[in-house]
Amino acid sequence: MSIDTIQEYLPIILKGFWITVRLFLWSIIFSTAGGFILALMRISSVAILRWTSGLIGWLFRGVPLLLILFYAFFALPEISRSLMFDPFWAAVVGLSIWTAAYQSEAIRSGIIAVEKGQVEASEALGMTKRYYMRRIVIPQSIRIMVPPFIGNAINTMKQTSLAAVITVPEMTLLARQIISEDFKVAEPLLALASIYLVLTTLLLMVQLGLERIFRLKV
Amino acid sequence: MGSWDWSIIQRCWPLMRDAAWVSVNLFAWSLVLATGLGFVLALMRMSNNRYLRWMSALYVLIFRGLPALVILFFAYFWVGRNLHLSPFQSGVVGLSVAAGAYKAEIIRAGLLAVGRGQYEASEALGLSRAHLMRRIIIPQGIRVMIPNYMSNATLLLKSTSLTSVIGITELTGRARQLANSTYKPIEILTAAGVIYLALTTVLTVSQEILERRFRLKT
Repeated sequence: MSIDTIQEYLPIILKGFWITVRLFLWSIIFSTAGGFILALMRISSVAILRWTSGLIGWLFRGVPLLLILFYAFFALPEISRSLMFDPFWAAVVGLSIWTAAYQSEAIRSGIIAVEKGQVEASEALGMTKRYYMRRIVIPQSIRIMVPPFIGNAINTMKQTSLAAVITVPEMTLLARQIISEDFKVAEPLLALASIYLVLTTLLLMVQLGLERIFRLKV
Repeated sequence: MGSWDWSIIQRCWPLMRDAAWVSVNLFAWSLVLATGLGFVLALMRMSNNRYLRWMSALYVLIFRGLPALVILFFAYFWVGRNLHLSPFQSGVVGLSVAAGAYKAEIIRAGLLAVGRGQYEASEALGLSRAHLMRRIIIPQGIRVMIPNYMSNATLLLKSTSLTSVIGITELTGRARQLANSTYKPIEILTAAGVIYLALTTVLTVSQEILERRFRLKT
């Protein structure tokens, strides 16, 4: 094992870098939207919405992501031809649904952590629920959600590696190919691991930055 | 979409049941080893020796920053091949090493949550540090750890699915094979999902039971 071979493999693995990043970004966009909807359903006053959201969360937090990805890739096309995605988008669908189930909890706990007095004061001032959620509660809850939200995002970043299993040519798949073609193990894996460590550390720094931006000024 | 085929599930049931048992075995071994490792890492992190503290912190930083799949590749292709481990053993090593980093944080948080006065009182009574940890701090810390420990155990159960990638025929791997060979991905993958939901629900219920048992009687 040598540092030179690690350096030799880095550019090959980095060819999958943008696919990993795109998988991550699309999944974060869709799962944040999905998580928000699920969280609002969960705290709604309509029982059927609460139950549906709880059921979806229980389902997708209760099964492994890999199984969800297989479902998206192998089973959805059987349900309807229009649900046939290429591997990349099947992975985005799977990752988004799975992440949304976790983000909904992060978002919901942020919303319910906002002091009750804020809601009571808004009602006393005659605001509608829509209005005070949008202008009073949600802006304050974002500060509370930052740590769990980014924690989930870091998990999603790491789990994009599973897309390799449904043949998305992201970094882990490229490293896996080097292992089977060159019979080298440690070098490609160390190169791969170092890229993931950089990415997850960057996200941790984003979290610290956001926490500083949203800190209460007293 | 064809109609739902019960007979295929019936025919595949013995294979899936055996595969689920492999998943449970992977889970149980990894949980035991990860808990041991997590305890050692947590105690190292709280030790007076600076080097032990750093080593523990570095371990947690690295293994929490890497995708579990990449850790499993290390365990299988590198450690496993050099030490001639079976895929099952490599899988247990990979899962334990990855989960140990999370367990360490959970156990440390639990131990730190025990009131400072408990440490001081024990010292004032002349208890040795080992005695103090074993008889005073750890028993009280366990109560605090249970929720996080158990939800992390659920994650571990789901991560056993990743070992299908290194050739272990556990539930997800088996479901994928059967989905391909029977051309009935919907039925097979749904059945696997139901088994996982049952297993994770068992863990959630045992969490509640444990929490009740360890609740403070006031």
